[in-house]
Amino acid sequence: MRQTEPRSRPPHLVAWLVELFASTNQSESILGDLHEEFLDIYSESGVVAARRWYRRQGVKSIAHLAGAAFRDAPWSFAAFVLLGFLLRWFGAELPARAIDAILRAQRPYSNEHYDFYVWLVTWGTPIARVIEMTLIGCIIAAIARGKEIVVTTTVTAISVVIVGWNFFLHTRNLPPQIPIPWGYLLASLANWVATLLGAIIIREVRSLSLRLHSTP
Amino acid sequence: MPNRDYLGEFEHIVILAVLRLADQAYGVTVRREIESRTRRGVSIGAIYATLDRLEAKGYVKSQSGDPTPERGGRSKRFFRVTARGVSAFNRTHRALRSLTEGLDLLKSHS
Repeated sequence: MRQTEPRSRPPHLVAWLVELFASTNQSESILGDLHEEFLDIYSESGVVAARRWYRRQGVKSIAHLAGAAFRDAPWSFAAFVLLGFLLRWFGAELPARAIDAILRAQRPYSNEHYDFYVWLVTWGTPIARVIEMTLIGCIIAAIARGKEIVVTTTVTAISVVIVGWNFFLHTRNLPPQIPIPWGYLLASLANWVATLLGAIIIREVRSLSLRLHSTP
Repeated sequence: MPNRDYLGEFEHIVILAVLRLADQAYGVTVRREIESRTRRGVSIGAIYATLDRLEAKGYVKSQSGDPTPERGGRSKRFFRVTARGVSAFNRTHRALRSLTEGLDLLKSHS
């Protein structure tokens, strides 16, 4: 029986990414196959070759699994992506309204919690937006079972391109005395990364639940 | 119309590999069989994406083996071709044979 000492373990990040992109049914056998071949290459050619092989296989496998998720059901895939944008569109005003409602109900500026009021006015809406986008990621992932990460990665990638392009259009003709709003760009990107985070949370919960149910 | 469905090129190759490997067909062996016989680099993700599609069409069936330490405590997933898979394979093979009949490909394109 071969030992799995620390040096003979496959790259953890690649294994985690493959697990995310594979469906819960596929991930156990795919990771097992990759592990088996990794150990064979490790014993024949050493750890460097084995890790290089694993990384290359991992990247190629992720590309194939992502492509297959789209090719096997293009209409439902497109519908899930559209749902992501619709949820964002319908919920665009919700974080600001929520913070406004809190301010009206609690009236923190009229008592000793003035610092909290300033903090809420400054950071409340951006934080609420990140939470909202995380929830949107959770909703998409809950519906798009089996392709949750591929769908949310697509939504995030499209959004990042749109945000980047809009930012470029708005800043290219800015007069030199006006600073470029990098904070706005970072906040917009963080929102979409939060969508991916929401999907990862749901995917990890599904994997954990499957592991718990399959353990005798 | 599933009974008129033809296999794609890679589906064709994967089904042949699974048939050749009989009861030893799982991700690693299928990948190695294809690489050694076609001299074509194949990723494990491509194998599973294809096998899952074939399973959804009812052309292959899978069954889990026992977890082993060589696999980091994970189990193998063995595949076998179903009767529907064999007829889809034969249908595709017949169509290809019929299309190549009479073409002297070796002489004209070698």
